Amino acid sequence: MRKDDVIVIGGGFAGLIAAAASAKRGKKVTLLSFGMGTLTVGSGIVDILGYNNDGTAALTPEVAVKMVEDDHPYHKIGLQAVKESVEFFLELCREEMYPYIGSLNEMKWIPTAAGTLKPTCLVPKTIDVARLKEIDTIYIVGFHCLKDYYAELVAKNLKTSLGSDNKYEVVMINHQFSGGRDVTILDLARWLDSEAGRAAFIKELQGKIKPGAVVLIPPILGTAPDYLVLDAVKKATGCHFIETVTIPPSISGLRLRSMLINHLKKMGVRMIEKANVMQSILEDGKCVGVVTDGIDRERSYYAQSFILATGGFYGGGLISSELGEVDEPIFKIPIQIPITQEKWSNLNLFSNEKQPFAKIGIRIDEKMRPLDEKGNLLFENVFVAGRNLQGYDFCFEKSGNGVALTSGYQAAMSV
Amino acid sequence: MKKHRIDPDRCIACSACVAQCPVTKATQRFRGPKMVGPALERMRLSEEDVDPTLDYCSNCKNCDMACPSGVPISTLNMLARAKYYKIHKHSMRDDMLAHGERMGKLAKTLPAGAFFANLGMNIGRNLGVLRMVGISDKRPLPSYASESFHKQFKKIRQQSFPNKVVFYPGCYINFNDPKVGLDFLAVMQKNQYEVIVEEEFVCCGSPLLVNGYLDEVEENAKKNTQLIKKWVDKGYKVITCCTSCGLMLKQEYQELFEIDGVKENAKNIYDASEFLMQLYDEGKLNTDFGTLQEKYLYHAPCHLRAQGFGLPAMDLLKDVAGVNIENADAGCCGVSGNYGFKADKYDTAMAIGGKLFGTIKESGVRTVVSECGTCRMQINHGASVDTVHPLTILRNVYEAKK
Repeated sequence: MRKDDVIVIGGGFAGLIAAAASAKRGKKVTLLSFGMGTLTVGSGIVDILGYNNDGTAALTPEVAVKMVEDDHPYHKIGLQAVKESVEFFLELCREEMYPYIGSLNEMKWIPTAAGTLKPTCLVPKTIDVARLKEIDTIYIVGFHCLKDYYAELVAKNLKTSLGSDNKYEVVMINHQFSGGRDVTILDLARWLDSEAGRAAFIKELQGKIKPGAVVLIPPILGTAPDYLVLDAVKKATGCHFIETVTIPPSISGLRLRSMLINHLKKMGVRMIEKANVMQSILEDGKCVGVVTDGIDRERSYYAQSFILATGGFYGGGLISSELGEVDEPIFKIPIQIPITQEKWSNLNLFSNEKQPFAKIGIRIDEKMRPLDEKGNLLFENVFVAGRNLQGYDFCFEKSGNGVALTSGYQAAMSV
Repeated sequence: MKKHRIDPDRCIACSACVAQCPVTKATQRFRGPKMVGPALERMRLSEEDVDPTLDYCSNCKNCDMACPSGVPISTLNMLARAKYYKIHKHSMRDDMLAHGERMGKLAKTLPAGAFFANLGMNIGRNLGVLRMVGISDKRPLPSYASESFHKQFKKIRQQSFPNKVVFYPGCYINFNDPKVGLDFLAVMQKNQYEVIVEEEFVCCGSPLLVNGYLDEVEENAKKNTQLIKKWVDKGYKVITCCTSCGLMLKQEYQELFEIDGVKENAKNIYDASEFLMQLYDEGKLNTDFGTLQEKYLYHAPCHLRAQGFGLPAMDLLKDVAGVNIENADAGCCGVSGNYGFKADKYDTAMAIGGKLFGTIKESGVRTVVSECGTCRMQINHGASVDTVHPLTILRNVYEAKK
């Protein structure tokens, strides 16, 4: 019977990082995934912690991490491991020739497609906002007939969020799609993947922008995890380009996902798609295997250790019933929930309070192992990472990919 | 209720499927799986007609693989297509491409039928007849083997063993590429298995489904299900070498129809490499391998990846048999059964395969390995390399043992 050192369940950011970090430790790894994972939906930027408990903006990610409450995953992981995981990620990106920038000592405020600014920590070079404060002229690039992206809106709201001293100029570009469906940001990114598309785009730009300015554009600088398109447009125009954060599908997320998948392949990780893990095989307080529930039959996969990175309510890692129960389907890990269902949510969506439902999740120890209601260890060789963890509202505090990265790393260090 | 019921409302519109759809990437004319599948399904419940861009879906199933919510998007599309053809007429082209089995049987029955069928296709191409009916004349059509697999199988005297499996060859192996079936037979004999071939099996229905002949698919499904059940009840496993046949028999029958026995059958239908890897896991695989000098590239058919058990041929050839083989991992080849043979889809199919062709050319290999017959044809056409089934390589590794 084949047996791996580590089986990672889940192909989102937490799972991919857990697999990469385990493989780096020389472990034989199999990754079981079902669906594309969060990186297509969320973005390819790594927020660590943007807002404090009371909703005020954090000074730096590191300062904010030090101040989290006891039940927060960062508290369990500890600052040292958070630092190590950031280093691990930055090094992996450099190794894959797609370096990210940023550090725990600096909060980056990056522009969104709504013209607001959001706090984050690690970003690709296509979202390098360092020059945003130094340069007065900001071109906002839009495209004729582009779905779900409005340059005018970006410009209007940036005057409030970034400051009205800057000169904002909307520049509309023609793309070469005619006929067929609505044009999306993904279509444009693929257009710029081609040499002809890049040349046409650059030609359009050159007539409309002057060198030395900042150019805000939707995330269209190619779909591959490299800076080929960024470097080409920079060189041709003499401007500094910044991609905005947009709605799904996330181009920067797709690039990051491609990079991580490429990396896992090089590290010899076996990846099995559409593997819907629904059960575990337990013996004497240990997990010996997990079982996928295919439409044809069940299949068992065996390993020494298991990393559970199946996501939260959205990803299917946690399932809530109409009766107000929450179930972790694979290991049946007990989940603590607010007593009545009415208390699951705070009706003021944009208030200065975290959403109770967002904090529902698996309770863990320092090694990311699941605990029961009383705090007793459930399995010694199961480790949890990502959105299924208890104690944080990533949406409120801007910590989604940060918790995924750090907990994925910590889980891999503990196996 | 079915365990894997089709529920379009589970779609949360995350658009992961759009990002992964090879057709969406290749042409602006397709509105994409999210829109054409679950989103428009709501309209179809009240409207008679369907969106015309549905015609672009190739049923490659990359959308199903991308979906985090388990919506069988491609199957929704195929059901909608069937609904469309309830009130629209099929073209002669679709009739021809969907009914490869009928043509194959004809070629088999007539004296020198295969020869004349192949000749006819060439003449048809030269006279422009193919193009006239809407079949691409830019690529070769699958040629018929001079003797079908069934015929060749009967001439072979197998060594008898107590372990037996039932082989489902499918149309492509039976009529076009019998060698795959013979190689499977040789490999099973090396593992002390006797192979039973059930001649009453009919086309799995995959080419019919993509052309909207749902009623005929159901007829075939009922017939195959009954036959497979007969063997399963006796305790036999049924093996396929074609991944699209396997997907149809195990999964699509369950998604599309309510037929007794399908679910139980599915538990006992195996991809050939998966079955051999199971023998390996049980310590029963013959591992008396020789060495092959050649370097290979492997292409995983989408219809294998969609089944959710990884790439058993890679495990088998690379890890177990020590073959020098790497996974191309360059996405869909573009052909999707008979999709790429249609004149109006040819360019889309070739654009989709572009990445794979490039990867193959860059690798410098002379032979590409893949389970799917039409994938092999597409790779042969697009990358100008030889193509073989994984079991052909496995047979060669066994036979390389001095």
